[in-house]
Amino acid sequence: MNAIHTETASTCWSCGAPAAGEHFCPKCGTIQKLPRGTDHFRFLGLPRKLWIAMDDLEARFHQLSWKLHPDNFVRATVEERDLSLERGSQLNDAYRALRDPVARVEYLLAIEGMRKEGATKQQAPPELLEEVFELNESLDELRSSREGNQHGAEMTALLRRLEEAAHGFEARLKDVDEQLMAAARQWDATVDSGDAATGRAALARMNEILNRRSYIRNLVRGVNEELSK
Amino acid sequence: MGRTVGIDLGTTNSLVAWWNPATCQPECIPGPYGSTLCPSVVSLDADGTIAVGEPARRRLLTQAERTIYSVKRLMGRGIEDVQEELKLFPFRIDPNSQQVIRVRLGERVFTPPEISAFILRELKGWAEKFFGEPVDRAVITVPAYFNDAQRQATRDAGRLAGLEVLRLVNEPTAAALAYGLHKSQRGLVAVYDLGGGTFDISVLKLISTGEGDIYQVLSTNGDTHLGGDDIDNAMLAAARDEIRARNGVELDAHAEAVQELRKVLVAAKHALSSEEKTAVRVALPDGAAYGREWTRAELEALLEPIVERTMGPVKQALADAHQKPQAMEEVVMVGGATRTPLVRRRVEEYFGRVPHTELNPDEVVALGAAVQADILESGVRNMLLLDVTPLSLGMETMGGVVAQIIPRNSTIPASAQDAFTTGVDNQTGIIIHVVQGERELASDCRSLARFTLRVPPMPAGAARIEVKFLIDASGILQVQARDLRTGELRSVEVQPSYGLNDTEIERMLEESIEFAEQDFATRQVIEARNEAESILAATEKGLAGEAGRSLETAERAEIAAAEAALREAMGGEDYKLIRARIDALNHATANLAESMMNQVLHATVEGKKLSEV
Repeated sequence: MNAIHTETASTCWSCGAPAAGEHFCPKCGTIQKLPRGTDHFRFLGLPRKLWIAMDDLEARFHQLSWKLHPDNFVRATVEERDLSLERGSQLNDAYRALRDPVARVEYLLAIEGMRKEGATKQQAPPELLEEVFELNESLDELRSSREGNQHGAEMTALLRRLEEAAHGFEARLKDVDEQLMAAARQWDATVDSGDAATGRAALARMNEILNRRSYIRNLVRGVNEELSK
Repeated sequence: MGRTVGIDLGTTNSLVAWWNPATCQPECIPGPYGSTLCPSVVSLDADGTIAVGEPARRRLLTQAERTIYSVKRLMGRGIEDVQEELKLFPFRIDPNSQQVIRVRLGERVFTPPEISAFILRELKGWAEKFFGEPVDRAVITVPAYFNDAQRQATRDAGRLAGLEVLRLVNEPTAAALAYGLHKSQRGLVAVYDLGGGTFDISVLKLISTGEGDIYQVLSTNGDTHLGGDDIDNAMLAAARDEIRARNGVELDAHAEAVQELRKVLVAAKHALSSEEKTAVRVALPDGAAYGREWTRAELEALLEPIVERTMGPVKQALADAHQKPQAMEEVVMVGGATRTPLVRRRVEEYFGRVPHTELNPDEVVALGAAVQADILESGVRNMLLLDVTPLSLGMETMGGVVAQIIPRNSTIPASAQDAFTTGVDNQTGIIIHVVQGERELASDCRSLARFTLRVPPMPAGAARIEVKFLIDASGILQVQARDLRTGELRSVEVQPSYGLNDTEIERMLEESIEFAEQDFATRQVIEARNEAESILAATEKGLAGEAGRSLETAERAEIAAAEAALREAMGGEDYKLIRARIDALNHATANLAESMMNQVLHATVEGKKLSEV
């Protein structure tokens, strides 16, 4: 996804009245074209902040669904049908991206030009290197003992060690989520204060936390998959 | 413009329903045999005529090789997808089938959408007869777990039947709509839909807002190869083995006998829903008889693995909705197979509450389709359906790995954009492979489409093409490409991997002209009769009035004769004759009409001042 350049359609395509950024023309009520690059926050009429009240988000989603859903345009002109499909799908995309706290951060980073998909995800965070190394050793051991059909006390101990490791990483996920929350609060404060430098720093921090988060999540998933075999 | 209806195009039975504004309720429309169920069976007679429904079902017993049932199992599928089906169902697949399956009926070959179109056309006919007006638009239901190809095939069938498909609606969602209307229920609802050939589970949230009620689907899951048909097949296999062992008869060689046996077994299955045991008896081709008693316990033993297979999707749907089974405030049962006591018991055990069965499980989906048809048609907006896409949409990337574009259970319409560039100098095309499914490798997912983005020769990486993938409100994929350097928007030719392209559909529409002509004739008869009714009424009114009384006896006799001739023609099916006699009556009443007009004018003028004329 690209950084957003908003070109605001300033007049209604249907009647020519001024209609800046509204879903419908204030004069003739026709559904408006969607300026390219309208981001999800703006689309829902929200500031670009990470703290969102869920009931407010849901209410906005439902309210706009009544107006923008293609059901309303079955008998309208082809242009209006296309516009309702465009606005209706962005509404659903926006709700999907913003209702989940982590997806919301990922989306913000994307529109701020801070997130490059998969660029650094696979690198182990330095402070975890030693634990990851041990974990991978235990996993290898588990696989080879399975191939040799080994059972008994040694296997039980190995499984317990892996379960403990998985729990340990799960606990770290909680820490990571708290760090993410702190950085998010920092970002929200800069939206109000206009402190761009601190804002960029908060974004960079969130990007790094998200990479760590997805690394640990994959790790936990991998161990759990291996244990459930 | 004609009427709009809701249609449940089922594996075993299909139904058509409408919204009755007088009762403010949806109602199913009965066919010529009094039932609202139209068996989804199509048969081609030796003289080339097509029979659909009950008459076709009877022909299963006499002309099995000219008759097909359960065609829904083939919709949107390729040969390799239906290998299991081919072992169990007597589909006569044409050896020349390519990506789209072709089925033999006697000496002719049809695609599954063409056969489904015959069923839709029949239902359209039922509705036209019922309304006395043409029907040209429909909401058609599909299993929620249908993929893009299966949805497209259903939409194509509608088009081939001469229907504008306003929307495809997921069957469990339609059921929830009919049910919610019935109960004014709010909160979390699970819909368990075990039909003839497909299983769906949907979790919905019913919300009241200031504008009206929202039916928001949270998640859906299912199996499009699982249904009541499978129980029939299991019973049939058991009986066939027994016949082989006891009588030494290989029943497979006798298609009609197999169908006779199937019919008897299905009746036994139905009986076992209310009784503990039932007797089955059927004559074998060698003249001997096969008889056996089935107990409910035996049936349930065959049913158990089928019910068990539904539980995986049920658990996945709840997990995707982030809900526990106990959190469901209502559980709704849909589909004929949910009449079976074992299914009800197992669903009740799992959710910890008694499932709702008060609406007719055969009709509830069609009723919901009629509700949605009315919403779309009348613009009366106090209900809103927010449905989801059942399967994740993805793109094949390096190494055959799938990159997810739109996750499953996203509310539709949904969209996603991605930018593409070239990897080598002067590359003129970028190949995009779109797939649907949850697996990591593209080869394990359903291939939806492969297409090439054309780019002018340029250095590697200089081209920038943005592709927008959009799943519309019917769950069907659309693709748009935009050249980011020029801003130029291009429509992308997406050739569906397992669907019919526009050229093929056009050709089929032409080929089906003979059937369309039958349709056309039916519609013409209806319209001509309506017109005749109104001219007859006008004539009667005229004759009773002052203008009529002043007519000469000869002229009155002429009019009476023309009226009688028209009435006689109305009893027949020849619309040209009806039209001719309408003209004759018009001619005979020319004088009458003129003096009526004069009197009306006279009366109007008399009541007014000169200045107002």
